[in-house]
Amino acid sequence: MMETILLALFFIVFTFAAYFLMNLLYIRFHYSFLMPALTATLIIVLFLLMTDTAYDTYMIGGQWIDSLLGPAVVALAIPLYKQRKLLLDNLVPVISGILVGVVIGMSTGLALAKLFGFSRILLLSLLPKSITTPVAMEITEQLGGIPSLAAVFVMIAGFSGIIIGPAFMKMLHIETPIGVGIGFGASAHGIGTAKALEYGAQEASVSSVAMSLSAVFGSFLAPVFVWIFYL
Amino acid sequence: MKFLVFLLQFIFIYGFFFLGQLLRELFSIPLPGSIIGFMLMFAALSLKLFPLRFVESTATLLLSFLPLYFIPATVGVIEYIDVFAGKGFFLIAVVIISTLLTMAASGLTSQYLGQRIEARKEQE
Repeated sequence: MMETILLALFFIVFTFAAYFLMNLLYIRFHYSFLMPALTATLIIVLFLLMTDTAYDTYMIGGQWIDSLLGPAVVALAIPLYKQRKLLLDNLVPVISGILVGVVIGMSTGLALAKLFGFSRILLLSLLPKSITTPVAMEITEQLGGIPSLAAVFVMIAGFSGIIIGPAFMKMLHIETPIGVGIGFGASAHGIGTAKALEYGAQEASVSSVAMSLSAVFGSFLAPVFVWIFYL
Repeated sequence: MKFLVFLLQFIFIYGFFFLGQLLRELFSIPLPGSIIGFMLMFAALSLKLFPLRFVESTATLLLSFLPLYFIPATVGVIEYIDVFAGKGFFLIAVVIISTLLTMAASGLTSQYLGQRIEARKEQE
């Protein structure tokens, strides 16, 4: 009993420390690949591998931090509510772009992965890759995929979006604040929104609206795509 | 005092999450409970059932550490590292290609429709 409490405390403090230290590093140098979601995760994974600690043991503490995900998703409604004017003023282009993004993101992801012959469980984990991590993990879990893998695919989508995205959108002449904001938010969620901030406040607001609404539309459409693709 | 405000607001926000989970279970809704809670929160604010300041400061604080909360689940990849070995490499390519297609399709759609509406407004 005592040992369990100590283990829980240790891993909670360890996760917090890794996050805050890596966050300081990110704020100081501001390179995308230093984002704490990536670096802190790597530090913890390396620690567990080197000390030969099981993931279940880590989760004795980790589950407490994990339990904040649900309320945090609910809290996303507050920034969306604050941007309701922007949303209402551009309702048609914003909603259409996000819907197209969710449909293209889910259908091309599934079609390509199926083409390469990947298993059903991998397809289900890959399906919500354009959706913000906490929601993507829940979608995958409900459909029978692996939430941890979903989180990794979401991260790969985010990083490819911000690394290739700027030159790619320039090439396609996507340059209005709405175009750029939706492009980043609908494909690269929170990581894309952080990048959109470098373009301007309006781009970032549009991107954060795209991130939140992609999560809502994606939750509705994911089971539909599973059905369409006979998974 | 500040902590008490935070605690009360947090319990309030958590209540929406709990309600979302409950509705999901009761009516077998195929949506994540957190997304149901999100929609209820947005609806409640839009209907002005309570003022924004009831939840604003705690929501902002909670969201400023968002990446922290998904670290424990992401660490779980430790049990699936072999997925990315060999052929699994193509999974990464699939995600990158699909992400760029998503970006192009969503960005171009929004930009095109936005410009068309602007042009129509100017004509009037």
